[in-house]
Amino acid sequence: MLDAIDKDLLKTVADLEGLPKGAFNIRKNGKLLKREVSANINIESNADGSGIIVTIKPGTINESVHIPVILSQAGLYDVVYNNFIIGEGADVTIIAGCGIHCGSLEPEGHAGIHEFRVGKGAKVKYVEKHYASGPGQGRRTLNPTTKVFLEAGSTAEMELTQIGGVDEANRTNEATLGPDSLLLITERVLTEGNQKAISANTIILAGAGSRANMISRSVIKGDSEQDFYATMEALAPCFGHIECDAIIMDNGRNETVPSLKARHPDAALTHEASIGKIASDQLMKLMSLGLTYDEAVNRIIQGFLK
Amino acid sequence: MLELKDLYFSVSGRNIIDGMNYTFEKGKFYSITGPNGSGKTTLAKLIMGINPVSSGSISFQGKEISSLSITERAREGIAYSFQQPARFKGITFRDLLSMAAGTDDEEMLLALLRRVGICSLSFLDNPVDAKLSGGEIKKIELATTIARNPKLAIYDEPDTGIDLWTIQPMVRLLKREQKEHGTTTVVVSHNRAFLEAADIVLMISEGKLVYKGDLKGALPILNDLSVCNYRKCLGDKDVGCYR
Repeated sequence: MLDAIDKDLLKTVADLEGLPKGAFNIRKNGKLLKREVSANINIESNADGSGIIVTIKPGTINESVHIPVILSQAGLYDVVYNNFIIGEGADVTIIAGCGIHCGSLEPEGHAGIHEFRVGKGAKVKYVEKHYASGPGQGRRTLNPTTKVFLEAGSTAEMELTQIGGVDEANRTNEATLGPDSLLLITERVLTEGNQKAISANTIILAGAGSRANMISRSVIKGDSEQDFYATMEALAPCFGHIECDAIIMDNGRNETVPSLKARHPDAALTHEASIGKIASDQLMKLMSLGLTYDEAVNRIIQGFLK
Repeated sequence: MLELKDLYFSVSGRNIIDGMNYTFEKGKFYSITGPNGSGKTTLAKLIMGINPVSSGSISFQGKEISSLSITERAREGIAYSFQQPARFKGITFRDLLSMAAGTDDEEMLLALLRRVGICSLSFLDNPVDAKLSGGEIKKIELATTIARNPKLAIYDEPDTGIDLWTIQPMVRLLKREQKEHGTTTVVVSHNRAFLEAADIVLMISEGKLVYKGDLKGALPILNDLSVCNYRKCLGDKDVGCYR
């Protein structure tokens, strides 16, 4: 059922050696490959068959659900709409990810539109990894979208990573925060060659006492290009912070635009942004510990994207 | 063990290090002092390979090292503690200590922390980033230098940002390293505690070595305005005076 390429992709994007335990849904080349549900986590196809609905019962604690997507069919652009309904007081981890294996001249792509409704007091950790590989020359595209709605006192921690091989990515993240809710987004994107990635983020702090922290780490190698846009809009007394750092290597190009909009007098919004090469004091420190220049560069990038 | 011969470092025609000759002996504790801008840090960086030598030679254990990279000098057994340590995103103290020691074995790292003494165990998984205080990062810097088990350890102003209560333990630590591991120790400092700890005090002014000997002999020179490089210095009343 899983061939060697599938296994390799699953290992890379979802840290899976074969099929996971508990609830999972594996999608391959636009179709369901295998699904399991658990007592507290239900997965069903949506009405038009364009995606899944994952429903987590209120109070579900310390459970996880894997929903990886693998693609190896030449010429396929797979679009999927997934909904996650996380019940009140639940505390769960969702591991997503998409791996593309391109073996031909034809393009391959995936767009995962993921919508999260996080119930009162619930906590969700969402881990999404994107990766493409293969000897083919076809263009590999990954266009993920996440939409998050946080109810009162809920928390969402989003780890979004694009680790390599993706020629083009249009990444969109949107979130609306209710009272006393917390959103932590960490996005890490590595581009090289002639790859291009755009990340557009809109976070609305609608509830009093809501907090959001968006961290973006970009490494731009070769002739690649990355643009990062983040808007944080405060409608209530709240706290929001955007931290975006880009390391440019070779001829990489980057545009970073953090934007803060305070629509309430008690909103506290901050941002810090930096674009530049690896700092020479960092390189010298690691070289003084016995690392070569190249080893030091790799170690710094590895840490930056960790 | 370390010999400087006719050493020059020039920038835009100005000699920052101006023909220095000196031989450091194995296992001794040296403190390098002198006014701000006299060339102390520059000299330390020349030895580590951070700044390139303009002319002259540096030999370490009989081997000419002035054309070697920082990495090669580190592998020869020279370690360097930066005055303003680098801060990283996503690299922890554990990562740096592992790189320095060449192992990620938990027991060995803990043994290193015990050996250094001044770093709390809770530091270990802290990122070495901008959130660390000046004192904390200097302690980490010192620990990674010691973790190299160097033959020659250079500390550039190790007391910067360190609280008063930690300076004496830090001096004792460097003396213990000197004694137990035979580490040749070079400390660039204005702090009297390090000057008192030194076997030999070296004083630099305008890129030249103007004194080498014990602290007692150095004190009259330290009190003499002639070593001040602040051109129209009015002594203690002048805000620009290093004293």
